[in-house]
Amino acid sequence: MAITDTTFIARSLRARLFSTVTTTAIVALGVALMLVLLAMRDAGEKAFSRGRGNMHMLISGPQQDPMVTVLNSVFYTGTPRNYLRWDQFEQLRAKYPFEWAIPTQLGDSYRGLPVLATTEEFFSRFQPADDTPWSLAEGRVFDKPFEIVLGADAAKKSGLTVGDHVFLTHGTPRHGEKGHVHDEFSYTVVGVLAPTATLHDRAVFTDLTSAWILHAHERREEALGPDAGKTGPGDLLDSDKKITGVYARVLTRPGASVGAAFQQVFDMLRRDPTVTVAAPDQEIGKLFSIVSNVDRIIIALAAVVLIVGSATIMLVLYQAMEQRRRQIAVLRVLGCSRRRIFGLVVTESAVIGAAGAVVGVLISLAGSRIVAGQLYQRLNLVAEPTPEPRVVLAVVLGTIALAAIAGLVPAVAAYRTGVIRNLRPIA
Amino acid sequence: MQSPALAIENLGFRYPGQREDLLGITGLTLDAGEQILLAGRSGMGKSTLLHLILGLLEPDRGTVLVAGENIHALRGPRRDHFRGTHIGMIFQTFHLLHGFTAIENVMTAMAFSDIPKAEHHTRAAALLDRLAITTPDAMPERMSVGQQQRVAVARALACDPVLVLADEPTASLDPENAGGAMDLIQNACRERNAALLCVSHAPSLVDRFDRHESLADLNNAASGGA
Repeated sequence: MAITDTTFIARSLRARLFSTVTTTAIVALGVALMLVLLAMRDAGEKAFSRGRGNMHMLISGPQQDPMVTVLNSVFYTGTPRNYLRWDQFEQLRAKYPFEWAIPTQLGDSYRGLPVLATTEEFFSRFQPADDTPWSLAEGRVFDKPFEIVLGADAAKKSGLTVGDHVFLTHGTPRHGEKGHVHDEFSYTVVGVLAPTATLHDRAVFTDLTSAWILHAHERREEALGPDAGKTGPGDLLDSDKKITGVYARVLTRPGASVGAAFQQVFDMLRRDPTVTVAAPDQEIGKLFSIVSNVDRIIIALAAVVLIVGSATIMLVLYQAMEQRRRQIAVLRVLGCSRRRIFGLVVTESAVIGAAGAVVGVLISLAGSRIVAGQLYQRLNLVAEPTPEPRVVLAVVLGTIALAAIAGLVPAVAAYRTGVIRNLRPIA
Repeated sequence: MQSPALAIENLGFRYPGQREDLLGITGLTLDAGEQILLAGRSGMGKSTLLHLILGLLEPDRGTVLVAGENIHALRGPRRDHFRGTHIGMIFQTFHLLHGFTAIENVMTAMAFSDIPKAEHHTRAAALLDRLAITTPDAMPERMSVGQQQRVAVARALACDPVLVLADEPTASLDPENAGGAMDLIQNACRERNAALLCVSHAPSLVDRFDRHESLADLNNAASGGA
């Protein structure tokens, strides 16, 4: 096989194997970091957007931060601070042109899994993700008090199945704390939902009445002591009927995502001091605009790693040039032009950049999977980090270009190598 | 009529800062296949003359014609290509490329020529075989000095040059090996009808050449002839 430019470049890279591998690794790290961040940013935003499903707005108790209410009520990050009374909910439902308005209450838990008390409409009208209605993997949805339905992940984590009986815990105890268990009321698992790839998968669902009874029972026990007996629906007072949120969708023409009345309804509710209204889409957008400031910094850091990688290529090649001056001089005598020498060095630099970029892409694919796995394990956030081919291509080409630019300095040094000076006999 | 392998006319050269010409050669012609020993003391400009012939230095005046082509009239890559295809160079310390085997060193010379790539390996192997190199895939640093010189000779002849320049080719060798090395260079050039300009100050080489010149005689700069 003839000696070609590829041979010269390959031999040069092989002659400095350690520095070739090191510089490639640095470039790969920068590329991987950047691609993982870009992929995760998009996937995270999609995952959050997906969780709000087909609701238009979330209405909750007064004087709360809209973003916090969305995070609490839709993404189960905590328990809402204030509540709405049932009669308030009925008034809201009657007053505004809602296609549907579903009451929800958060506050109890089962072995750390959040319990969402709601109505059957939650399964028939609300869709956890756009165009993805609920479906059951097993059993049915609840149709009477003290029945529960498990989200797909909640079933997996708890090991419960249809027919099992459980007791719920008041609030969500912190790690290591025991919490108050409502052991007076046993719940029966009647269904397990199919996975939806949203945070709802880690929730346990029950009906509102049983949630109210649990807390009414506490009230009655405090007031009546052992004479309280077992609390039933008939013992409920209006003050027991509290909810923490309303998932609402305004009337919308078929095919449209948001109804024309949305803005008007939203503005009116915003002016109402007795409620807090939030549009999940907007709040998620706000959240990501805050996060994007942070990830811009991280992406900038990844870019710095890439630039440092390119600078390393430059230094390594420059140093190599110093050692290869005699070789360059010999090649010149053999008929190699200055331009070709220049091209060889720039290409060698670009090859290191390309190798780093390819390795970086491979690492980023694995890295994204690991980060996505951690997000799912820790937050139940189903992120699908599929790197956009356009973005990957841009990062790869950008890296190669950056490496080629880094090769210019050693290439100029090689171009200017004095042939005569470097051909003096070796002592 | 065939152009001489080398024709130097009124060549004058001085390094920047020098008050007098280092070289001032009125004329020197070397026909195809002719061999000449150019002797001279150290510092007289023997290597400088070779660099001028190779087109690595620009003369202050005069012309250097290699196979009828004024090498200094060629610019940039054209001059490099011409040098690679018309002139073979044998260095005192061989300057073989590290990281390349013996045969690859020979093929490297062809990498900048118009010889079809498919022929490179065959030609290089044949050359090395002719020069009794039995381990063409060995690294030069693992070869004896004599073998390294043969590889260097093969590289110089790889593109069938019209002119071979040898710069103190025996300076690195002991007297016994020096004779063998010169036999090798001279015979290889004769076989290929390449002219040989051997620059050396070794008196032992004088008898090997029918034609010898003294740089001091050629160089009229010192006598003010320039």
